[in-house]
Formats: sequence, C-alpha cells, structure tokens
Amino acid sequence: MLAYIGRRIVGAIPMLIGVSIIGFALMHLAPGGPLAVYTLNPTITAQDIERIKTIFGLDQPVHIQYLKWATGMFSGNWGYTFFGGRPVLIVILERLPATLLLMGSALSIAILLGLSIGMIGASRRYSIWDYLATTGALVALSFPTFWFGLMAIFIFAVDLGWLPSGGMYELGEEGNIVDLLRHLILPTLVLALVITATYSRYARSAFLEVLHQDYMRTARAKGLRPRERLFRHAFPNAVKPLIALLGTDLPILFSGALVTESVFGWPGMGRLFVDALTMKEYPILMGLVMFTAFFVILGNLLADVAIALLDPRVRLS
Amino acid sequence: MSKMSRMGITRRDVLKGAAKGALLAATGTAGFAAPTIAQQNKDRIIMAMSQEPVQFNPLLYVNTGTENVPESCMFDALWDIDENGNFIPNLATAVPTRANGGISPDGLVWKVNLRRDVKWTDGQPFTARDVEFTYQTIVNPKVAVRSRGGFDSIKNFKVIDDYSVEMELARSYTPFVWAWQNMHIVPAHLLKGEADINTAPYNSQPIGTGPFMLKSRVAGSHMVYERNPNYHRGPAKTAQFIHKFVPDLLVMYEQIKTGEIDYLGLQGVPADRWVEATALPGLDFSRTPTPFVQFIYFNCGKPQFADPKVRKALYIAAEMQKSLDDVYFKTWARTLAYLHPTHWAYNHALKEETPNPELAVKMLDEAGWRLGADGIRAKDGVKLQFTMSTTAGNQARQGCQALFQQNWKKIGVAMEIKNMPASVVWGEYTTKSQFDTLLVAWEPTVGMDPDYTARCHSKQIPVKDGAGSNYVQYQNPEVDRLLELGVTQSEQEERKQTYAKIQQILLDEVPFAPQGGSIEGDLKKKGLIGVKPNQYVTSYSWNVYDWAWA
Amino acid sequence: MSARTRRQTLIGRFMRHRPAVLGAVAVVLLCLAALFAPVLAPHDPIELDTSVRFFAPLTHLAFPLGTDELGRDTLSRLLYGGQISLIVGLVAMATTVLTGALVGLVSGYYGGWIDTLLMRFVDMMLCFPQIFLLLVVAAFITPTLISISLIIGLTSWMEVARIIRAEILHLKEQDFVQAARALGAGGIRIMVRELMPNIVAPLLVAATLKVATAILLESYISYLGYGVQPPLASWGNMLTNAQGYFDSEPWLAIFPGVMITITVMSFNFLGDGLRDALDPRLRM
Repeated sequence: MLAYIGRRIVGAIPMLIGVSIIGFALMHLAPGGPLAVYTLNPTITAQDIERIKTIFGLDQPVHIQYLKWATGMFSGNWGYTFFGGRPVLIVILERLPATLLLMGSALSIAILLGLSIGMIGASRRYSIWDYLATTGALVALSFPTFWFGLMAIFIFAVDLGWLPSGGMYELGEEGNIVDLLRHLILPTLVLALVITATYSRYARSAFLEVLHQDYMRTARAKGLRPRERLFRHAFPNAVKPLIALLGTDLPILFSGALVTESVFGWPGMGRLFVDALTMKEYPILMGLVMFTAFFVILGNLLADVAIALLDPRVRLS
Repeated sequence: MSKMSRMGITRRDVLKGAAKGALLAATGTAGFAAPTIAQQNKDRIIMAMSQEPVQFNPLLYVNTGTENVPESCMFDALWDIDENGNFIPNLATAVPTRANGGISPDGLVWKVNLRRDVKWTDGQPFTARDVEFTYQTIVNPKVAVRSRGGFDSIKNFKVIDDYSVEMELARSYTPFVWAWQNMHIVPAHLLKGEADINTAPYNSQPIGTGPFMLKSRVAGSHMVYERNPNYHRGPAKTAQFIHKFVPDLLVMYEQIKTGEIDYLGLQGVPADRWVEATALPGLDFSRTPTPFVQFIYFNCGKPQFADPKVRKALYIAAEMQKSLDDVYFKTWARTLAYLHPTHWAYNHALKEETPNPELAVKMLDEAGWRLGADGIRAKDGVKLQFTMSTTAGNQARQGCQALFQQNWKKIGVAMEIKNMPASVVWGEYTTKSQFDTLLVAWEPTVGMDPDYTARCHSKQIPVKDGAGSNYVQYQNPEVDRLLELGVTQSEQEERKQTYAKIQQILLDEVPFAPQGGSIEGDLKKKGLIGVKPNQYVTSYSWNVYDWAWA
Repeated sequence: MSARTRRQTLIGRFMRHRPAVLGAVAVVLLCLAALFAPVLAPHDPIELDTSVRFFAPLTHLAFPLGTDELGRDTLSRLLYGGQISLIVGLVAMATTVLTGALVGLVSGYYGGWIDTLLMRFVDMMLCFPQIFLLLVVAAFITPTLISISLIIGLTSWMEVARIIRAEILHLKEQDFVQAARALGAGGIRIMVRELMPNIVAPLLVAATLKVATAILLESYISYLGYGVQPPLASWGNMLTNAQGYFDSEPWLAIFPGVMITITVMSFNFLGDGLRDALDPRLRM
C-alpha cells in the first residue's frame, strides 16, 4: 500500500509539470497581454509599457519565462501579482476558506441527497418515485447553473427578501454564524443542485447493479428485511464505485464553484479566478491552475486508496 | 417612455401567470415596499464599490476609481485639487505659483516648502527625504510605477533642507502642478532598503501619513480603516471608514435602499434607474462627472480615414445625442471636445452639428466616395467599410455601436462590430494603431489639465515615434504649435484661448469624434455630510477626512 | 439476429422511454425553428428602436414576447439565438467527437507507449476544471462563432476519448478483429472497417450529451461576455443584457434561460434514451 502511494506521488510530479506547461502555454500564446490594462490609463505611454514589460520579464521568450516561474514555484515562491506586487500564494490562501466552505457544504448535501435519491430510485425501480427521481435529475442537470443562481437571487433575495443577495456576511457580523448561514444557503443550494443530480444518477446505477447480484437474493431468501438488506449488503458494495467518482468529479465541483461564486459574489477562489482573468494576472491564474490540479490529483489518489481499502479484491497496480 | 409601461406593468402582473405568482402576489408588495433603513451607526461610514482594490502602494498601478480609495485614505500628496478646480496645499505649505515666488519667472525652477507637523502613522516624521525618495522611485526604470506624467520633465531635484525641496525643469511646463497632485508620498525610511519595490511586503501593509490607517481586510469583501489621531489636518471626523465591494450593481443599489451601505460609489446607480433614484426617501442623489469622455477613434493612418472630410461626414451622420439619450438614459453630458462641458477650459463656442445625414451624404459625394452597387461607398478601389472595436461585454457601448452602425448604413457606410476582451483590444491592437475605429472612453493625460499633447501631437505616435498615446496617428502642425504653446503659458485666461482653438480644430478635423462625458449617479444617505463630487479627480474619497454624520 | 429485427428492437426499446421520445421530438422542433428562424421571426433581431423598448410580453401584437432595453424583439432574438446556440452546440460536438474518437481509437488500438502518452495527456487535461480551461482560452482570443465552437469542443473531448478507448480495448480481443488481422489487414484498415462501426453507438450517445453541455458552456461564456458578441443574439448573451433589468423586466431574463433549459433537457433526454436503447450494458 505504502509503495503504491509512493509511486503515485512520484507519478504526480510529471503530471503537475505537464499541467503547468499546458496552462502556461495557453495563457502566453494568446494575443494581448496583461499590460493591456495599463493602456486604459491615459498617463501611461507606449514606452512605459515596454519598460514595465521588461520589469515583469514579459519581453523574454516564453520558455525562459516558464523556466523562471517553474523554478520559483518548486522552491515555494509562487510569484508576485502584477498589480499589487503581493505574494500569489497569500492571495490565493486568503480566498481558500470561503471556497472550501462553499464546496464542502455543497458536497455534503449532494452526497447525502444524491445517495438517498439514488437508493430510493433503485430499490423502487419503475415506480413513480423512480420516474420522478430520474426525470428530475435530468431536468436539474439541464439548468444553466448561473441562470439558476440569478433566478434564485431574484426570487428569494430581491422579491421575497428572505435571504441576502450576495456576499459572505454583513459588515459588523463577522463572527455571527447565523448571518454566515443565511449567506451560505443560496449559493450552496445552487451549487449542490447539479452535483446532487449527477450523484443521484450514479447512485441509482450503482445500486441497481448491486441489487441484482446473487448475494442480494440470498439475503432475501435468508429472510432479512428490506432495510437490513439495503444497508448491510447493498450499501457498502454500491458505495465503492461512488467513492471513486467523488475523486474524479472534483474538477466539476471547482467549475461549479467558479460559476456560483461569481453569481453570488462569494469571495472565494472562483471569483479570484474571474477577476484575475479580466486583469490577465498570469501569476494568479497559474497559481490557481496548479492549486486545483494538485487537489484533483490528490482527490483521485485518495479515491483509489479508499477503494483498495474497502475492497480487498481490488489490486492496486 | 411613460412610467406606466415600466412600473405599471409590475412584476406582479407578469409573474401572476407563473407558478409562483400566487405566492408573490401575497408577499410581493411586502417585499418591495418602502425599504427599512437600518439603525444608523454614527461611528462609521460604509462606502460601496463594484470593484476591489488590489493595489495599496500609491505609486504602482492603479485601476482608476478603485485604488484611489486606499490612496486617499492612507496617503497624502503635496497638494490636492478641490471641486472647483483650485489647488489646495496638503503636505506643502503653499502651492507654488509665480505670484508667491514658488515658481521662477522663467517657469523652470519650482520651490516647495513642506509642513513640519506631519508624521507617518508609525511615528516617524515626514521630511523632504520622503519627497525625494518618492521622486526617485517614480523615475526609477525598475519600478512599475503607474505614471511618470510630468516627472520626466524634472532635470534636477534638490533637497534644500529637511522641509524644502527645489526642482528644476528641463522646459517650462505649466501642467507640472498636476504631477504632484496625482502622486502621493511614500515613506523613505520603510522602502529605502527594499531590493524590489514592486514586490515589497510594504505593499500589503502600507503606512502613510493620511487621515486613516488600514485596520483589517477581508479579501473579496471589504476593508476597514480607522482614523489616524495624529493627522496633520486634524483627526478625521468619523472614527471608522469601511470600503465594501459588491460586484453586482443592482445588488449594490438594493443595499443602499435598505440602508446596508451609506454611500454608493463606483460605478454608480444604473442609468435606467436614475429617475427612481432621485426620488428615494432618505437618500441624496448626486451627479458626479467622471473625467472620462467617450469618443469614436478613427485611425487616420487607414485609407478610409485619411481625409478629414470623411471623418467629419461620419461624425455628422452619427446620432450622438440620441445615443446618449437612449443608451445612457440621458445621464451623460454631451460634449464636443475632449473635456467635460463643466471644465474651465471647455470651449463653449463649439457648435453641435449632429445628426445631419443629408450633409454627410453631400460631403462624402464631394470627397469622391460614390455609392457602389452593393450600397457601400467606394473611391479608388477602397470601400468605406471598416470595423469598430471596444471591450467585449460592455452593454452600453454595444448599444452605441449598434446605433452608429444603423446611422452609417443609411449613408452607405458599412461598419462591422468587432469586440474583444479588454486585454486584447487595449493591447497592441490599440497601441500599435492596428484598429480601424474604436469606441473608447479616456481622461486627459496629465491629471485634468487641458493639455492633450500625448493624444494628438504628431510626435506622439507610438507606432512611429515610440512615444506618446496618439493612437489615431493624427498630424496637424497648427495643433502641434498650439499644444506646445499651451504648456508654457501660465495665465489661465491665456491658456483657455489656446485650448479653445485646439478644440475647434479637433472638431473640424475629427481625428476622434467626441460623444459624451460620463456622469455617474451616486447615492448617499441624507445624514452623511461633507461628501463633495469632484470632477477633477477620479477618487470618490478625495476629502474623506471631512465626511461626517449630521 | 437479423439487422432488421435488431433495429426494430432498438427502436422498440427507445419508444418505451417516453421522456426520450419527447426529447427527440423537442430536438427536431428546435432544430426546425432554428433553421427557419428567418421565416418565423417577425423582426430583424438586431434592429433597434428605442421608442418600443421594454414592452412586456403579450401586450403588443407586433412584439409577442416583448422587447429589450434597445427595442429589439425578444421572439426574433430567441429564434436567432437558438440558431446560434445550436450551431455552436453542433460544431463543438463534432469537434469533441472527432478528437475524442481519434484519440481513443489510436490509443486503444495501438496500446504501448502511444497509449500511455495519450492517456497521460488526457489525465493532465482532466486536471483542469473545464470552465478554467475554457475561460482562459476564451478570454484571450477574438470571439467568433467558429473559434468559440472550437474551443468548447477542444476542452470537452477527454471523456469521449476514455470511453472510446475502453470500448476499443474490449473489441480488440474479439474474434472478428483477430480474424481480420489474420487475413492480413493493416491497422488503419481494421480501425476503419471493423472497429469504427462498433463504436458508433457509444459515440452517438456521447455526441448527443455533448451538444447539451456545449450549449450550456456557450451560454455561460456568452453571459460573461467572452462568447458570442452582441449585437448577434445568443441565449447566453441575452442573459447578460437582462441582468440589469431583473426586477422591472423579468421576462428578459426568464425566456432565454427557459429556452436553454428546455433545449439542453431535450438533448439530455434524447441521449439518455439512446444510451438505454442502444446498449443497456452501458451505464454512465
């Protein structure tokens, strides 16, 4: 096991390098540059822009820029933002708690709800519940998340006034949990919608697979009650592939978080990405790309390890 | 457009048909009734903006409007400018003029005396060394300073003693006074030792001489400033100032209606809600002219626009006033020059000539641009067909573009809208004069001085001379001469006449067609006094130390 | 089973799936509406006339679904917007399917270091949340219909590649492939004649579902301002415009969103039904 983990960690390094090269290439090979925002400032002359380019090293060939950035990153220096000169790592970490809170809450709801719906659908196959669940999930997957968020703000915040329309907390209420929860509800529900729908479909499939296995029939023949059959036999076996999916679906969670954060003005990493995009803050964008790539790789690794631990039949190769 | 069609058909009518209609009908009025103004906390002022400052060092890059807030809260300049266009001394004891001997008769030597009672918020005294260090940083090629405007004309900088400095200019340059209004002073004792000012830790924890100190910051949400008890103009009138960021304009608007925020700044009330906003109870609505004037930029280097008559014809055919009325809901001021009509140097003798499509057609015919079989004018094999670009996603500008497109189609000119992300369109596409036309909003280049050399002097074309911001590639020797004259004149009346002449020539030859000066609608609570909209600066909080509750 | 009976069983299975049938019908209707937009639309979608702006739906005969802030007819814009969204969706889908199938085929058939290299590349691409990848490229290019469709397509092919590869790996060992090889058929020939016909089924399913995601993605980046540029109407950029007028002209925001949802839903139902009909083994 430890050897396996070790190998995976070692294998992750070329992955991260590859990811960084792809990201860097995409950003730098596109036309326009971060200094375009300077042009909007009327007092900057074209000479100034050339000079600033040199200061930031942007006039050097792309591969040299990449090497400088990469060596910096591996020694812990994630670089400084173009606008503000602040350490990129600090800027990202400032936003991390907000995103973790949002993603964590949404994920929890999605898992609980998704599993339940999937389980119910599978165990009552072809019933009205199953029909509603599958159709409902498909409908939920079809909503554009950002539109759903806007509608939610419109209905619950603007019209009904029940909930705040954005942000993370009111000023002066930083420690107030109730206030935080009030701000958290809408973005979490919006983010959770799509993920719950996806999970419920996976869960239903997984449970269907399991419920038709022979050992389930044996359990029934043994006289076990439906609930016992479901939870003692079906559940542990169905959950295994679902855990793997948790790991591989992390990118979807990040994508959804980005959309949700921008719609609700939630001060997390997703919004940081969108803001950095308008300013073309390469250092922040690269930092965020590496950050998420790291988490995705980690997620996959944890998922695989979890499966191996849960199912002795699976051999890690 | 009557109020009935917009407000009469309320959400209730429209949504009744929808499933939630019933629920809303019951609670709709309740939710949208008169806003409840929250209990007023008199020890603090909350100002909201739609963008967040990322830059706290006043010398480095600034996103106008946004970063000016930390700048005006924590820092001071040698002198400021008030809402009437008068310079008032801040760190200097007096603004140098020829009359008080601060400027030598030939305009080359500027002497500034500094206040002796100013302290940095870490306790250290403010001295001429700080001014010297600020100047050195600004001209240091290794620092990504936001602007050198004016400072590059300093030939010699001398510290005479701890509280006075003397600057010798390479040439007589009246707008120099704006240079020191624009750049705020940074502490030499904290930054001198830094190897790289661009990335110094100071940038996250700035120390200034200003009326407030940064107490805390929550990234993406707000910044809290606390009053500096030792401020040299007297402690600020309010103990706490909070700068809040609300990315959505509509949400920000809701928040001031419910009293969550006290002052709504950048980017103001959405233009279509001004009528409603002026009538809100408990709130004051003010029209704040921003320094920006919006133009259509014609690339004079392109064959279609080489002839000033063509440019003039295109300008005349455009329904400029209508675009302001429709797209900006009559909130912007129509201007015929690169300045707001309220600016002291604006030439009020300029005449409005738009829209006049018949005259435009006549002018184009006379200039030799005949209508082709495809409905597009052509001359010598060149079609009057071109693109117009601006920032993608800017709805108002797109509305203007659509209108101009229609206007020009009627006179046989084909314009294609080609918008791009900001980082693309304002990059080399603009700076290397690659565009056909642009729809752009800019300020003058040296503070709010009417000097417009960088944008229309023939030696300021980046793609030819490597310097300047004359992206339209306009060349006119008479304009050059007038521009060079204007910066040496010291009497406002003289300068007014010079710049009036320049504005007239620019309106005749139209290298850039002026559309309107942007005006923002700001809201503040009635009890908040001291707030003065100032068209000469881009900072909402320029006099934040004066803000208080009645 | 003869080909005819097989087809009948497939169709039979599909027809039993009512939502799938509804989805199919809806997709056909939407495509027809988009195709005949110039005929069906009462007005020019980009013609503006501020004297008729902000009309509510069903209040004026000439503008059945109301007008927006510049006086443009909502119904016409919805129809033309549908055209745009469907074009982007289909072109993006084609790009995704072609790229994914190619990578999956080559990777699955040849195996060895080609397989490892390609799959590593797929893994790396999958480390990027799709929106990140899409926005980074979209924000820096000049948006045209083709460029938008291509970049959506080029950031979505990874799952298709994996599915196809898995299929190929499975098919490779089957008798008919072995037979072809024994007869001396070369790699390309085997891929084209033996393997490709057998991956049509999963490709069809993937294609249908990818149209749905492509439309969602296009609407998001257009909403942000990086996609289809006004005055060209797309459902996504109609929503950017509508955001500022929420509380007084909600229809501007509701209609485009509803259209996106219905279209995506139709493709999703269709794809789901196809998947169940074509191969009940295929889950996910």
